[in-house]
Amino acid sequence: MTSFTPLTRRHVLSTGAATLGLGALGISPAIAQTTDVALQLSWLHSVQFAGSYIAQERGFWRDEGLNVALNPGGPNAPVEPPVVAGRALVGISAADYASAAVAQGAPFKIIGVAMKKNPFAIASLPANAVRTPADLVGKRIGMAIANTPVLQALCTLNDVDINDIEIVPTQYDAAPLLNGQVDCLLCWATDLPVAMAMQGVESVTMLMADHGYSVHSQTYIATIDSIANRRSDVVGLLRGEVLGWAEYEADTDAATDLTLAMFPDAGLDPATQREQARRQIPLMFPDDASDPFGWFTQESVAANIETLALLGRDVSPDLWDRSLLEDVYA
Amino acid sequence: MIYRAAFPLLGVLATITLWEALSVLNAGSFVIAGPVDVALWLRANASLVGHASAATLSAAFWGFVWGNLAAGAIAILVIVLPRTERFISFAALVIFCLPIVATGPILRVLYGTGTGPQITLAALAVYYTTYLALVVGLRAVPTGWTDLVHLYGRGPLTILRVVRARACAPYLLAGLQIAAPAAVLGAMVGEFTGAERGLGVLTLRAMAGLDVVATWSIAVVAATVSILAYLGIGALSRLRGEGPPVLILSTGSPGARDPFLRRMVEAIGITLLLLLIWQVAMDAFGLSQFFAKRPGDVLTYLGDPVARNTLLGALWETLIWTVPGYAAGLVLGAGLAAALTLLPGTAGLIMPLAVMFRSVPIITTAPLLVLALGRGATGTITIVAIMIFFPSFVACLHGLAQTPGQVRDVFASYGASRLRLLVSAQIPAMLPAFFASARMAVPAALLAVTTTEWLATGRGIGALMALTSSTSDYNMLWSAVVAVALVAVAAYLLVERAERWILSSYAAEQLA
Repeated sequence: MTSFTPLTRRHVLSTGAATLGLGALGISPAIAQTTDVALQLSWLHSVQFAGSYIAQERGFWRDEGLNVALNPGGPNAPVEPPVVAGRALVGISAADYASAAVAQGAPFKIIGVAMKKNPFAIASLPANAVRTPADLVGKRIGMAIANTPVLQALCTLNDVDINDIEIVPTQYDAAPLLNGQVDCLLCWATDLPVAMAMQGVESVTMLMADHGYSVHSQTYIATIDSIANRRSDVVGLLRGEVLGWAEYEADTDAATDLTLAMFPDAGLDPATQREQARRQIPLMFPDDASDPFGWFTQESVAANIETLALLGRDVSPDLWDRSLLEDVYA
Repeated sequence: MIYRAAFPLLGVLATITLWEALSVLNAGSFVIAGPVDVALWLRANASLVGHASAATLSAAFWGFVWGNLAAGAIAILVIVLPRTERFISFAALVIFCLPIVATGPILRVLYGTGTGPQITLAALAVYYTTYLALVVGLRAVPTGWTDLVHLYGRGPLTILRVVRARACAPYLLAGLQIAAPAAVLGAMVGEFTGAERGLGVLTLRAMAGLDVVATWSIAVVAATVSILAYLGIGALSRLRGEGPPVLILSTGSPGARDPFLRRMVEAIGITLLLLLIWQVAMDAFGLSQFFAKRPGDVLTYLGDPVARNTLLGALWETLIWTVPGYAAGLVLGAGLAAALTLLPGTAGLIMPLAVMFRSVPIITTAPLLVLALGRGATGTITIVAIMIFFPSFVACLHGLAQTPGQVRDVFASYGASRLRLLVSAQIPAMLPAFFASARMAVPAALLAVTTTEWLATGRGIGALMALTSSTSDYNMLWSAVVAVALVAVAAYLLVERAERWILSSYAAEQLA
């Protein structure tokens, strides 16, 4: 599906040498100093970030003169502070989080989009299924209260009155659905439904992106300062990501094996990870988009601005900066 | 002897049977796994659990060491320089109130990757209870003895070394027993700020993966370690030959009263000093104003009536739950301690249950409690009580044991019943420890309620703070932190007032 010219090692080396200005001195970049940078992930290590692990394992960043630390996230590890503070050069955020942070004065740009389709979904059981937003009426939905605006936006997009839905605050856990405390869950299509499938429970997943909810997810964010002053490092980091995720798309099972090998202490279940890796593909490389990994179009930005407005965010297209990806794919 | 030794064993057996029964009754609900499944899982995943435990427990250990050292240092400072007490008590209280939603990002930015945040959060989880226990212990000395040292022309340092250090030992051990499970939980929660391995990481993974057996297995590991630490410290106190003290500490005297004006000036001074420290500390570490808000930011933000009303509305929702939760926790703790004293045979049954309840992470038990009791008043108050009863239980247990031997002898010679001894002698002797635990429970109750709001009810200031992390609304977050701290200080002052009033009759040496 990709239409971009493949990046050769020679191409990378020549640009790397030119950037460093070392070519004329006859010093090969291979022995040149590598720069330490960090990529702040948005959650604990898992196949969710397998493309990055491939980039590290295969030396795609080393070829760029970068030594990239992959810092895990967690429930109390928001991505934005370490990026603002300069602890991480690039962070993995999402358009809604990033635009909120910008509204609070953070100097971010979205420089790439790993998940073109938002992973938020409504999961339910077949006996009492939610297949369209209209099915939500009269249902009890289990979710984190913090996600209320997400549900509100979905309702507005599909002419459903949110007051007809009973919101039940739950932990991020499918148990309340299985023991009948709720009728459906607001979750990512790639985690709780997979967990249920692994326990032998069949579930129905309604992807919100299929019902007008356009919010770029797993987006790469960097500060305006880094984009201006450390541009080659940021571009190099993105280039490694592009190469890593291309290999991921080609073989998700291999990517899963690598993830499991790199993080033996993370408690990852092989079967779950394999399935999650597969279900990520349609979100990152949707059939209807011929764009390469990370790319975003003007139309998708416009659609994002519309959905974000429903989330109460007044966002300008300036939040997105595609120029670094254009350098990567140049 | 055999009869006595059989009780703890019976207690453990009863606990395991009850647990297995609960898991069978709730089979298919994905909220609880029984001991058999847990044992099998642990066997199959021994190496994974070993690595995770090593990571979490080493952070918990260092947090325990640093937190208790800090508590010791500030407690000694307070005793040697009593003028510093007000300031140190309030600074310690306010810092203990800081929620992880606010501290997590700051610690991650300060330390980068690594175990720094885990160790710091474990230390923060233990220092406050140890500090309060130590101050009470260092003061639990007969006034005659301090007078004697003064008579020989020696100062407060000699009193500290010769008299107070020995008197505080049982209180210190109680403090350490309370601290051990708290350190483990602190280290686990610390992993929520981003870690590669550990029991907290495995818990998150297992819960999202619907792996209820793994979730409970990890909780069992955390609880077992806490119980072992608790028993180890308890054995230490028996090694010292701890018995009831022989002396009546004081005969009671009316406490001196500070003039109102002086107290007001003092309160304003302390507040200003704390605000200054807040500002200077954040500036010194060069923390970005985006997420590390300064006092001025909060003041400006709360000038907006919309923000102020949102905050006050949430605060009100929180307070409605905090007061009954606080009361329930204290009553549960003190009640269990009294029951144990009346029926010593039940110790083997109650102790393992109590330590286990305290040391199993609340995110593991909350789904079960919510399923059983719902998200209404019963469920919420039960969760809060379970989260906070432990310090008052342990402190009261030690306090009850502090009944002077002479008093016991008098009751024994009159053939008084156990109940009479409890009501007329042991409960009065327990009061200093009880009030220390009542003060410990103030910030603990607020933290427990906000956690419950985040996990189960979705209301109040806990839900508001959880929301700010996804919207980067750090102004609201720090405003909420200030509001929680103010409530904690106000509640602390109320408890202290009641304490002074009652202790002036029962334990005047505490009011020195």
